Amino acid sequence: MEIIQSYFSKRQESTSLAFFRLAFGLLMTISIIRFAVKGWIQLLYIEPTFHFSFFGFEWVKPLEEYTYILFIICGISAFFVAVGYKYYISIITFFLSFTYIELMDKTTYLNHYYFVSILSFLMIFLPANASYSLDSYLKNQSYRYTPKWCVDSIKLLLFIVYFYAGLAKINTDWLLEAQPLKIWLTTGSYDLPFIGNNIMQKEWFHYFMSWGGMFYDLLIPFILLYSRTRIYGFLLVVFFHIFTVILFPIGMFPYIMIVSSLIFFSSSTHKKLLNIILKPFKNTLNNLKEVNRVIIKREKLAISVVILFFIIQFVFPFRYAFYPGELFWNEQGYRFSWRVMLMEKRGYTTFKIVNNENGKSFYVMNDEFLTEFQERQMSFQPDFILEYAHFLGDHYKNEGYNDIGVYADSYVALNGRMSKRFIDPNIDLLKEKRGFSNKKWILPLNEKINKL
Amino acid sequence: MPLFFYFYSMKEIKYTLIALFSIFLIIACSGDTDDDADQIPEFDRSTILNNYVSNIIIPRYGDFKVALDGLKIAVDDFTQTPNTGNLQKLHDDWLESYKKWQHIEMFNIGKAEELMYLQKMNAYPADNSRIEANVSSEKTDINSPNDFTSQGFPAIDYLIHGVATDFESVSNVYSNDSKYGNYLKVLVDVMVKNTNDIIQDWSSTKDSFIQSSGNSNTSSLNMITNDFVYYFEKGLRANKIGIPAGRYSGGDALPTKVEAYYSSKNAFQDVSKILAMEAVTASENFFTGKSLTGAMGASLKTYLDYIHASDVNKENLSPMIINNFQEAKQAVNQLDGNFITQINNDQLKMMNAFNKLQAIVVNLKTNMLSLLSIQVDYTDADGD
Repeated sequence: MEIIQSYFSKRQESTSLAFFRLAFGLLMTISIIRFAVKGWIQLLYIEPTFHFSFFGFEWVKPLEEYTYILFIICGISAFFVAVGYKYYISIITFFLSFTYIELMDKTTYLNHYYFVSILSFLMIFLPANASYSLDSYLKNQSYRYTPKWCVDSIKLLLFIVYFYAGLAKINTDWLLEAQPLKIWLTTGSYDLPFIGNNIMQKEWFHYFMSWGGMFYDLLIPFILLYSRTRIYGFLLVVFFHIFTVILFPIGMFPYIMIVSSLIFFSSSTHKKLLNIILKPFKNTLNNLKEVNRVIIKREKLAISVVILFFIIQFVFPFRYAFYPGELFWNEQGYRFSWRVMLMEKRGYTTFKIVNNENGKSFYVMNDEFLTEFQERQMSFQPDFILEYAHFLGDHYKNEGYNDIGVYADSYVALNGRMSKRFIDPNIDLLKEKRGFSNKKWILPLNEKINKL
Repeated sequence: MPLFFYFYSMKEIKYTLIALFSIFLIIACSGDTDDDADQIPEFDRSTILNNYVSNIIIPRYGDFKVALDGLKIAVDDFTQTPNTGNLQKLHDDWLESYKKWQHIEMFNIGKAEELMYLQKMNAYPADNSRIEANVSSEKTDINSPNDFTSQGFPAIDYLIHGVATDFESVSNVYSNDSKYGNYLKVLVDVMVKNTNDIIQDWSSTKDSFIQSSGNSNTSSLNMITNDFVYYFEKGLRANKIGIPAGRYSGGDALPTKVEAYYSSKNAFQDVSKILAMEAVTASENFFTGKSLTGAMGASLKTYLDYIHASDVNKENLSPMIINNFQEAKQAVNQLDGNFITQINNDQLKMMNAFNKLQAIVVNLKTNMLSLLSIQVDYTDADGD
């Protein structure tokens, strides 16, 4: 108990949180601007007539043209977080608006969006505006120290992301078959300095990258934690993520991870970095009245929430164990678990509407309702298939059909295996409820991918 | 990068990099020696592009153009002197060029896409009332999307097989009213002009097309493979077979939606099956890399063979797809030459042909696109 108490009373210089706040806020601002500039708001949220929802969040829908305002709010709050202006309101606004955006359509789900959501949730409880912020300038008060647990909680979250991504790679497809890297590297087209195009198509290289990737993810948090190896760890982080940038269309994620992992460095390093970035304001910032240690309001409550948050983070990725069948095939408990780049999975799924009154049936052309991107994601993910089947049921009932059934004709290929039937074609999907219960209407893969 | 140099000495960084790099090299080299025995030469995707452009696309367009020029002469002759002999010649040239069209319809890319060539050449069923309206108003500008179904092969089909029910009475329509002939000339002129523009564009973009051999969403191989798969699923499987057979309409057959409807309906000649067979063969040729002259070259098939030989997957996909094509051709061949008759008499046979084509679609869209890691859509969203 005493150890715990003394841990929570430990302090660390406020520059670490301040640096992280600034870096994270700026990266998020850039990400939101990039998203808008690429035209994705229109393409992904406004153009589609139908949106796939997370179970329980069906009420979260794009807001038509107001979706732009939502993005503007999100971008501005990210910038306010960066400069530390009205920090608590800004980070809460950012968390809510960003999470709302992610919940609008699960077609766009990415692990790193989820990472941003939960990281910004965590940051609500951290006094990241204690120094080097507009808040402290306006109050003429700069705090020298913040609680150590605040910085550690960010490190712990990064630890989980990497370590769990590493654990997920311990499976027979990844390690023994070098899949899906074998497909991606063989068919890729890269002309890299030193490495060239030649190595990419060599089998040993696929295994080297698979095993290397696993060890990297598992070990990197430890290498970063230990002060004597930290710089090497960071070089590895840069090397690894730049490599993924070259190989895959991966967006902002590598940069977010590279910058985030700087949190493992010491507060004095962060101070030096801040002084470089904020050079024009250096004098103003250094002349603020310095106060010893920031006081977090209701700190015990904050700590309890953070502890609960981490317990959930530790346990949640293992929920797949409650479902029978192959995780990669059924995808029950696949998301929100740091399973990254584990599958080359393609599907082809069409739907038959059967009029039970006269036995007549017809097939649906998916492009009447879905964008190409949505159709691609729907075709191999069972929860998408079920949700879409229900949407089709409602649609045709509104068209005047009374007693209908919706059947899926679905084929999926996973990690180089030949495609096979995915959904039981004799099951009326309208009779199946959405939810977290086991989806018995998925036909089994009949092959075990052993995993941790 | 400069950040590290600020905090750590050059020496430290230098040694670290050298150490990392040598570890990498050691592993790389030791791996290389083991690998020599069963080394497979690296696959160059530009060879596929070269074969597709130089031996399939450009020659097929050239072949089509010759037929189309013949069609234009036949139109001129017939409109000048409307008689059954000239009409028979026009019909023959229409069919000849329509058959050759089946070999280029899938290349809806570049200039063709820009000109909406596909929609202007072969959007069916033709809109006969709009065609009649265009004829009587002597319309010459048919660029509007509303006119897609009143031009191209389906519109000519209506104009030479649909305005009356035998060659003699059709020919009389043209003798009595020169507006029909004028509209026919407008149609064939647009077809010739667009075709010439596209042929010219291919000759100027050929090299850059072949050079874009990467694996991004906008690289040539990804675009043309997507076009091929899209064509096979929609243009061939759905439009030619599925839709008329009632697959998307509650089992109610829609015989008016067959390709070249009027020729079959008014018993001039049963051509729907001829065109469908031509289209399946064209797709198979594209997949296997068979050129106009019959020579085989690099293709999606040889790429899949390479992938299999590199141990990326256990079973070889390409023989399966070739087998699918054989079965599909057989099933289409068993259909009545007149699809209207076939649909009205035995829908199941039509559905059987559909299912055989569907098997190809499944293999193309799941297995082939997966093994070649070609994205099926152009949305350039992030991955993770």
